[in-house]
Amino acid sequence: MSADALSSKSTGNAVLAFLKKPLVVALILIVLLLVVGEWLSPGFASPGQILRLLIVAALLGIVAAGQNLVILGGREGIDLSVGGIVSLAAILAGNVMNGADGGILPAILVCILVGGLFGLINGVGVTVLRIPPLVMTLGMLGVLQGLLVVIRNGIPSGRAAPGLSDFVVKPFLLGLPGIIWLWLLIGLAMAFLLRRTVFGYRVYAIGSNEQAAFMAGVPVKTIRVALFMLSGVFAAIAGMCLLGYSGSSFANVGEQYMLPSIIAVVLGGTPLSGGKGGYTGTMAGAVLLVLLQSILTTVHIDEAGRQMVFGATLVALMLFYGRAKAMRG
Amino acid sequence: MSNAASQTSTGSLGRLIRRYPFLPALIILILLLALNGIFEPRSLSFRSMTGLISTYMALMMLAVAQTYVVFSGDIDLSAGSIVSLVNVSVIVLMQKWGGDGFAVIAACLAGALIGLACGLINGIVVAGLRLQAIVATFATSIFFTGLALTVLPVAGTPAPEAYWTTYGGRFLGVPFVFYAVAAVAILLAILMRMRLTTQMLAVGDDQQAAFQSGLPVTAIRIKGYVFCGLFAALAALCITGDTASGDPLVGGKMTLYSVAAVVLGGSALAGGFGTVTGSLIGALIIGLINALVFFVGTPSEWQNFVQGLAILLALMTGILVSRGARA
Amino acid sequence: MSELIVRGARKAYGATVALSRGDLHLRPGEVHVLIGSNGSGKSTLCKIVAGSVKPDAGDVLLDGKPVTIDGPRAARALGIGIFYQELSLAARRTVAENILLPAMPVKGGIFVDRTELEERTARIIAEFQDVAGEGFAADVTVDRLRADQRQLVEIMKALASEAPILIFDEPTSALDRAQVDRFFEILRRLKQEGRAMVFISHRMDEIFSIGDRVTVIRDGATVASSAIAETNADEVIRQMVGEREALSAESKPPVPAAADEPVLSVANLNGAGFRDVSFTVGKGEILGFGGLHGQGQSSVLRAIFGALAHNAGTIEVGGRACAARTPAEAIRNGIAYVSGDRGRDGTLIGRPILENVTPIHFLRNRLHLARPGALTALADGPLKALKTKFQDIGQPVNSLSGGNQQKVVIARWLIDRPAILLLDDPTKGIDLAAKADLFQLIRSLAAEGMGIVLYSSEDAELLANADRILVFNSGVVTRELQGEDRTRYNLYHAAYEAA
Repeated sequence: MSADALSSKSTGNAVLAFLKKPLVVALILIVLLLVVGEWLSPGFASPGQILRLLIVAALLGIVAAGQNLVILGGREGIDLSVGGIVSLAAILAGNVMNGADGGILPAILVCILVGGLFGLINGVGVTVLRIPPLVMTLGMLGVLQGLLVVIRNGIPSGRAAPGLSDFVVKPFLLGLPGIIWLWLLIGLAMAFLLRRTVFGYRVYAIGSNEQAAFMAGVPVKTIRVALFMLSGVFAAIAGMCLLGYSGSSFANVGEQYMLPSIIAVVLGGTPLSGGKGGYTGTMAGAVLLVLLQSILTTVHIDEAGRQMVFGATLVALMLFYGRAKAMRG
Repeated sequence: MSNAASQTSTGSLGRLIRRYPFLPALIILILLLALNGIFEPRSLSFRSMTGLISTYMALMMLAVAQTYVVFSGDIDLSAGSIVSLVNVSVIVLMQKWGGDGFAVIAACLAGALIGLACGLINGIVVAGLRLQAIVATFATSIFFTGLALTVLPVAGTPAPEAYWTTYGGRFLGVPFVFYAVAAVAILLAILMRMRLTTQMLAVGDDQQAAFQSGLPVTAIRIKGYVFCGLFAALAALCITGDTASGDPLVGGKMTLYSVAAVVLGGSALAGGFGTVTGSLIGALIIGLINALVFFVGTPSEWQNFVQGLAILLALMTGILVSRGARA
Repeated sequence: MSELIVRGARKAYGATVALSRGDLHLRPGEVHVLIGSNGSGKSTLCKIVAGSVKPDAGDVLLDGKPVTIDGPRAARALGIGIFYQELSLAARRTVAENILLPAMPVKGGIFVDRTELEERTARIIAEFQDVAGEGFAADVTVDRLRADQRQLVEIMKALASEAPILIFDEPTSALDRAQVDRFFEILRRLKQEGRAMVFISHRMDEIFSIGDRVTVIRDGATVASSAIAETNADEVIRQMVGEREALSAESKPPVPAAADEPVLSVANLNGAGFRDVSFTVGKGEILGFGGLHGQGQSSVLRAIFGALAHNAGTIEVGGRACAARTPAEAIRNGIAYVSGDRGRDGTLIGRPILENVTPIHFLRNRLHLARPGALTALADGPLKALKTKFQDIGQPVNSLSGGNQQKVVIARWLIDRPAILLLDDPTKGIDLAAKADLFQLIRSLAAEGMGIVLYSSEDAELLANADRILVFNSGVVTRELQGEDRTRYNLYHAAYEAA
């Protein structure tokens, strides 16, 4: 990377523009953090450690995929309910499979259905009733949190099936666990969806100028509802994987993904205003975020100090990305 | 296409709502009060009202805080963590300075200053550095929480008796919280007439237009965050009086409720339209919904769900009604 | 008394040079017309003077002394007021608050002085009250106003600054004749007071009626400056377009409308802003909509396109009933619509040209997969037919000039030819060269058999291109001009009668 940095000075603007791309910034920072981590605590950048990081990043990254779609669709698109859906899916999946491999398939179905259903409600609220996404999904988050209490009450919470846990943590192919492959697959699918399908073109169209898209015959509402549904489904898949990762679910496990999923999208170069960006950057953003958190745990400072450094570093990182244009151009 | 008669009727209601954007919220509030009264007549007693207000005073203050950033189209997801930070700071300072009346007042002033400082940091980060408000204030909220954990790592240190007896007590037969409400009402009435309020709303309406009109947009937005920090500090003082102890995570849950209260109060999250009065009402609506869910005898495990659902419905109704009337 | 001199002002946005050498010499007591095709740099020059754009180079001299204008506030302090083409209004604030937003009267140091606010704005509003139209009042919020009324508020806001130097960047584009006349009266009075004013407009008649001097900008550079009395419209146009061929589109010979083969028949159409509108468009016919702006022409077109509800009447396309409730339905029925407000209805801002050209093709062919290579090949023809200038089909559409952006928007309708093309003031705010390219294409499309409805706010465009002209007044078609009747006189007469 230092070679890159050097050559940028000599070859001028083109390289500089390249280096300013969010994805490139994120990748450079990732490598930088790995080097710093290895220097601070030898073994930090070992393959096993990196793999563990990637598993955690995959969980965040899958939630962020849906978040990314909703944000790309514009009109202040944002999905705060993902936190609740992740938790709900984790509980439901645990209850459905209850430690038996035979329950995995039904659990997947239940999760996708439930995630899609809540996404559908969000989408209908946002499009048909024209409730601002932040408000709609914030309200939905409250409903989901209430639902968690209801489900948790009375029914003992189930455990992950061994097959699911193996999928998340045990090597599956080429030494990588299934969840990494799943994440890569989602990455490919997202790239295909956004760049090679009419749906993808339309997502960017409504994100960039909804009125113009409508006048060009784009079914704006259908697309937006679909985006919220996909967000719900991705969150549900992540919730299931999270169950596999931790073995059993506990209260509100998903909440830790709500705002970080948005941060991953922003660090990946998709501005919250939508209509611009993509998922490759978001994947890098998720890795970056997880890496940063983990590097702070290796440093010997207490929880309080860690949080302060983390918060301050996030602000500093954001300075690289999508700062609003100066009003006086 | 609506006919002429219905147009004039929505026209006059629309005018009323454009002038008093909190009107739908007020109607929901009265409705909720009535329902509370029906299911539990004692809930309308002076004593219960005092209890309701002293419990929800903190959220009311935080809703006001949030309103000042929402006016100019921003949002503050760190408001709750400012509450936590000020709460633990005040508790620790009061204890350090001896816990007498003087210490209490000094600590409160220090708390207000801390709130202002946090607001200033947010303002500089969001408006000065031009970062996206949602993600940037989430980052500062992590920072403020870390700071709060440094000041007081675990919840529990009690507030001096002088503090919470005052907050929960009476003067001349009137509960202290009512004085607090009156003082805040006067303060808000003054703030409402300020030129700054109009300027904030203009910035929230169209930032570029406001800039081109010669308004100091960045300074106005920073002031919004500073106001937010100040009122978050006041919220912290209320919560300190209510819980009588320090907790470095006490405000975390309040942030999203403050946003909900602002929306319930009829303000537009996109900025440019709204009132602080509405946000106060919005916070009370949340309190009354929670009380009502309890009074109607909802099984305990269902209470959170019903509350969540009721708040979602209230949010949607409020938005639909005020939009319908404005159209 | 203020004399303003701008020398060598330059502004680039990345690789795009918006202004390469802007010169302007503004004297006290004159209305100085700034003219140039869109994207030539007029607005950039104005914004540099108003402080809202930071120049890369150049000097500004005020009364002979060099000054730095480092923001709109600084400009105001120096006595420069501006009318922004895109307006600078806060939609939810009242008319009064908007007029005095830049300098809200204050009492007690921090409070708004409502009495003073009302008094001062009342004086300014009074000057326009009788031409402002229904629903205009000091305490109405701007979002309740019509486009022309908003433009009046922006004018009042500029006037309220009482600045010795006033810049008006296309202040009349949405105003009707009476409003323009009133505005010009005020400009003449201000001129006598010795104020210096910059005036931008695309309407030649306005320029010659109010201007004292004219400065022409072409491709980002000031090319000429002369007294109005010493020049004429032809010369100004020549200076604007440079050495290029004369652009005056030759008047279209009236083609007999193929009334026996109507592609579009509208009967007794009613809706918000129009009533009882009936007409047919024959195959290969260009039907013009004329009249003062905002008389329902645009609403009728949008209703046919399904973007605006209509509550009575029938629409037939090629003999089949087609009451589209959404643009998508209309598009599937072979209707195309091009809005003059491309920023709102047309361009997918920030997206590549390719993505801006393809949405109609996707819809009409019910496609699900997008293959960029094949799409690029498809887009190429229409873009070339319109002589669209761009480097790379992957570049963002907003990196193009206004005229080229509009060409991209029109090109999206030409991959799959529609039966009917609705043009809703399509040349609003685009330069003359682009206009010429556009009308050339429109006529060739008609020659190929497309039915075209053209609403234009410029009478000359209608007269030169339309076979028949329907004149609208207050939402009703008041007159039809055919053949020899299509004269400027008749058009004016019909537009103003009973108004």
